Amino acid sequence: MPHEETLAEFEERRARVRSMGGEAKLAARRSQGVLNARERIARLVDPDTFVEVGEFGTSILPEQSADTPADGKIVGYGKIAGRMAAVVSNDFTVKGASSSAVNGRKIAHMKRVATQRGLPVVFLGESSGARMPDTMGARGMGTMLGNDPMQYQRMRETPWASAVLGSCFGSSSWYACCSDFNVMRKGAVLAVSSPLLVSKAVNEAVDAEELGGWRLHAEVTGLADQVVDSDEAALDAIRTFLSYLPSHHNEPPPRAAVPAGSGAEMAGIAGLVPERRSQVYDMRRIVRCIVDKDSYFELKPRFGKAITAGLARIDGRTVAIIANNPLHKGGAIDTDACDKATSLLVMADSFNIPLVLLVDTPGFVIGREAEVRRAPGKIMNFMNALSLVTMPKISIVLRKSYGQAYLNMAGGRNSDEMAVWPTAEISFMEPAFAASVVTNAGPGDPGYEAALQKMQRETSVWDIASIFAAQAVVRPDQTRDYLKQMLETHEMRMTRGVGQHLMRTWPTSY
Amino acid sequence: MAKIKIASEITGAVWKITTQVGQSIAAGEPLMILESMKMEIPVVSEDGGTVREILVKEGDAVQEGQIVAIVEG
Repeated sequence: MPHEETLAEFEERRARVRSMGGEAKLAARRSQGVLNARERIARLVDPDTFVEVGEFGTSILPEQSADTPADGKIVGYGKIAGRMAAVVSNDFTVKGASSSAVNGRKIAHMKRVATQRGLPVVFLGESSGARMPDTMGARGMGTMLGNDPMQYQRMRETPWASAVLGSCFGSSSWYACCSDFNVMRKGAVLAVSSPLLVSKAVNEAVDAEELGGWRLHAEVTGLADQVVDSDEAALDAIRTFLSYLPSHHNEPPPRAAVPAGSGAEMAGIAGLVPERRSQVYDMRRIVRCIVDKDSYFELKPRFGKAITAGLARIDGRTVAIIANNPLHKGGAIDTDACDKATSLLVMADSFNIPLVLLVDTPGFVIGREAEVRRAPGKIMNFMNALSLVTMPKISIVLRKSYGQAYLNMAGGRNSDEMAVWPTAEISFMEPAFAASVVTNAGPGDPGYEAALQKMQRETSVWDIASIFAAQAVVRPDQTRDYLKQMLETHEMRMTRGVGQHLMRTWPTSY
Repeated sequence: MAKIKIASEITGAVWKITTQVGQSIAAGEPLMILESMKMEIPVVSEDGGTVREILVKEGDAVQEGQIVAIVEG
């Protein structure tokens, strides 16, 4: 065949692949304001950096090959802010981006190369589950599924980020749950199976939003780390997330320039904490004051709200923030907040990110509801995770730190440096409860007031500083400077900023 | 206009009700303040709207997850 004809065939085949599931389906998406799989990649990666892999892959069944361009999953390599990443983008216009033998191989190749060469993996999810009827029957199952024992193994050699951008059943939801960061667009659904199958199989009438919508995953399950309004915002969130992370676990996170105006609000930080110790405030204002300007990337903001957690930068260095938020539950840590803290500890441990903990908690939530939710187990998961983090841990007590929560929030030798504000109070139990327990009395009863006053006096920061159980008493307005200096002091010089990754196999979707 | 059920996020007691039925509230504005763990904990609506029902009174004990108000927004 003459070269011209060969090249013409190449171009014709490529055009067929690029037309995806056909103009009608693509137009329908456009009218809904939803990007298609190729537009999503173009938005995610730096211009002209995407190299597609396996674009001429199709269904393994010859009779379906013409209808399955790229076999419904578009994969390849592209740069994100100048750093190479592997990308998997589900093309819902081709058989609902259902999982098949060939597209399964394409995903496996992406993950294998990413792991061997140290690249983050991005999953852009929108898929209907295993392809039917191909997977039906014992022969179908044996051919299509279960042939890759590493398919859902997570060792965190490199960061994974996921976006849930439409109906996500099957592999898109599985990869979302395996990822270190999962952003969900409003209107998208993350579930094991569709409302249709649910209605047929268990006779439960449930709409998609109720079954796996953003509110469920942002507020109840915690499986969504962030929720956004559009595909574009989701892709931008993934770019932002990866900017805090190293490309792989054998290097420290990249250092960024410090934006102008960082620390400019520090003079007023003490005023953000009410003088009356029973009053609440929003810890996120304190966090934003301390970290580099506009760098607080909060995770799971609607889940386990008694702790605010996320990534940020201090002096250009990536840090993981775990901070009690008295605005919710008075800062009393519930089981969801434990899970949220634990999942961030796993990420920090896996990707060489130092920890900063800001403490103001009356303790863990107690009561029957907490016990039903397995509070003791959750508290110990959190505590064990903290102890397994081999990165620098710096804890600052702003106000209350009581009981086991003192340990979980890195009190004492559970951090590399523990500092306290002069406003801090530390004890085993809230003095009012302790006085009542010890005297078996209450306000107005003999002995109670004297016991209470003594216990209140004994919560003083000067006592803990005097026995060197706290390494510093820090003026609130000098907190940012203190953290900058401690992060530099505790740089992991002996290992070039790389920790031991003792939790790299821990699950975080619980 | 959707009716939004506002739940207590913690077990405690109603210390002070700071809004009344018919009042417009902004997103994040406290409807009432609970007392728990020796802290004054606001009950807020994530969305703005009009307070349609207040289902507790000052001094009442409330459980975590108990619906304490209805907001229409």
